[in-house]
Amino acid sequence: MATRAFLAVISSSPNRCFITPRMIKNQASAFSSSSSSSALQFQRHSRKPHRISRSFSSETNSSVLQPPDISSLAKTARISLTPAEIEEYEPKIRQVIDWFGQLQQVDVNSVEPAIRADMEGGNLREDAPETFENRDSIRASIPSFDEAYLKVPKVLNKE
Amino acid sequence: MSTTLFRTIQPNQFSLFGSTLLRWRRSSNFSVRCCGSQTTTTTQKIKQPSQSRIAPKNHGSNKLDEILRDYEAVIGIETHVQLSTLTKAFCNCPNSYGSHPNTSICPVCMGLPGALPVLNSKVVEFGVRLGLALNCDLSLKSKFDRKQYFYPDLPKGYQISQFDIPIASGGFVDVDIPLEFGGGHRRFGITRVHMEEDAGKLLHSDTGDYSQVDLNRAGVPLLEIVSEPDMRTGIEAAEYASEMQRIVRYLGVSNGNMQEGSLRCDVNISIRPIGQTEFGTKVEIKNLNAFSAVSRAIDFEISRQALLHNQGQADQIVTETRLWEEGAQKTVTMRKKEGLADYRYFPEPDLPEVILTQEYVDSIRASLPELPEAKRRRYEAMGLGMQDVLFLANDVSVAEYFEAVIGKGADVKSAANWIMSDIAAYLKNEELSINDAKLTPQELAELIAAIKDGTISGKIGKQILFELLAKGGTVQGMIKAKDLVQITDPAEIEKMVLKVVSENPKQLEQYRSGKTKLEGYFAGQVMKMSKGKANPALLNKILQEKLNAKD
Repeated sequence: MATRAFLAVISSSPNRCFITPRMIKNQASAFSSSSSSSALQFQRHSRKPHRISRSFSSETNSSVLQPPDISSLAKTARISLTPAEIEEYEPKIRQVIDWFGQLQQVDVNSVEPAIRADMEGGNLREDAPETFENRDSIRASIPSFDEAYLKVPKVLNKE
Repeated sequence: MSTTLFRTIQPNQFSLFGSTLLRWRRSSNFSVRCCGSQTTTTTQKIKQPSQSRIAPKNHGSNKLDEILRDYEAVIGIETHVQLSTLTKAFCNCPNSYGSHPNTSICPVCMGLPGALPVLNSKVVEFGVRLGLALNCDLSLKSKFDRKQYFYPDLPKGYQISQFDIPIASGGFVDVDIPLEFGGGHRRFGITRVHMEEDAGKLLHSDTGDYSQVDLNRAGVPLLEIVSEPDMRTGIEAAEYASEMQRIVRYLGVSNGNMQEGSLRCDVNISIRPIGQTEFGTKVEIKNLNAFSAVSRAIDFEISRQALLHNQGQADQIVTETRLWEEGAQKTVTMRKKEGLADYRYFPEPDLPEVILTQEYVDSIRASLPELPEAKRRRYEAMGLGMQDVLFLANDVSVAEYFEAVIGKGADVKSAANWIMSDIAAYLKNEELSINDAKLTPQELAELIAAIKDGTISGKIGKQILFELLAKGGTVQGMIKAKDLVQITDPAEIEKMVLKVVSENPKQLEQYRSGKTKLEGYFAGQVMKMSKGKANPALLNKILQEKLNAKD
């Protein structure tokens, strides 16, 4: 669970969250209470023909995968970690990677690849425009404006 | 939880997908890239007067021809087509170009926590339409993936795109090279077509140390078309790009407007000594806002790379992105790429897979309009020359107009001539589209018929054409109101001829003493007297008789 909490920190990438959740009213049905719920569903609904042990132990052969480089992970997620934090997270991330090492050892040659978990596909939307009513509160939380434009530090090249 | 993991464990991402899922046909051609186009305020100001036809000037074409004796260019194009849906790809925000900045936004396209995307059904429909039009195989099951990059025009920190399973792949497109560029028919492979969302628009002020962002475009649906590296010249590339524009316009999936950025072409180009099978180092060119720019940028790049080869500095050709500078007519380095950018693709957990039924695909196939290539072949079979064919099939509205005219029984060649010459000139001059012309196809057919059956002369026909174009009305009404019916009564023409001959004794004498060119002068005088209504053939016949009569 600690691992998942860490991943949630990474995936929510604080740099882009310039608006706090409480400022937005949950209006549309397209909102879920937590962004990770669909990921959990993904796992619940997946039809894996092979039962896999969910133990996080690294007793099994894990040499196939490289150990994690926490510093570079943090860099790609645009978060800064103290050396102490790096030390703390390293074994936890390693456990997760080891778990993937186990997954990779499962022989799936006879199994047709599932490109996606079964989530009742075909959930499409009509192409009918609707203006989001609370745009003002989105704009109000943008830190810097230049007339109608968002003002950001000068950027010329993509990474 | 497994999905959340994909995004953090980068070194193993590809092995996790497994090689069976990576199916591109030629890996050398596939390149991952950022979608957000950079628009600078400077480039926006450059206005292209016309984009309807390609008009590339082969600057220094002799030099280029010389280069192309030793080197071959290998060119592939990535085309981003902005779809003309009413809403964005994953939220209900209006998709409207030119709205006040940052007004078409909501928690989904702003990437606010907890907001979830729901796919617009029109995006799937347009993807299928375009895939079929490009002769692709469709994936009845495809999915979305996240492409991670950090940039201010991308509020979520990732772009929702399709990575390993695009909606359509393995197609081709046929084009006709215009005669002025050598002519010929070419087929170019289409690697894939995939659905994705656009990024916002970034404006870089020339002065000042900040950039401006408009997020109205963030989340607007795109189809990205990736070609095979099948093109060899700037002309071929420009023709490929303009065929893409024709196709998306015929299909009605996009307005295909390059100036507004609704159709964006990025060119990948390398050169290699003729005879070499492996590709050279590939350079990507962006900021191509017109077909002529596509062609010229490629010509420039071929020359630049060949020069480096010839100077023994081929190692200076590096994998990079270059920008086309329209003002200076050259490409400049935008950024060097050190290996492939790490986008850490993983399956988008917030969206289900996209499932197409065969019935759905078949119903869309049945609803496809006649496409440019089929139209061109049909027009060719009607006996029209290639120049006419290319002109008429270039614009779907023009093609519809032409077909309406011949549908009313007008002669094919005459209809093509009227549309391509006088009507096209009028529309260009007035800056109108053919849909704005007040002359209906019915009346153009009447006009052609009236000239053909001799009711009016061609000259009169031309005169009333412009009046009909500007004011509307009917050919018959105008002929009656203006008393324009052609004079075909030989007796009446003879009277006028005799009058003109008798009024010009001096010219008559000169004519009879050998200055036969004066016949034109007499014909002109008679035509003038008839107010242009005399039948020219009859007039000439009678005039000759009278001039050569020995009295």
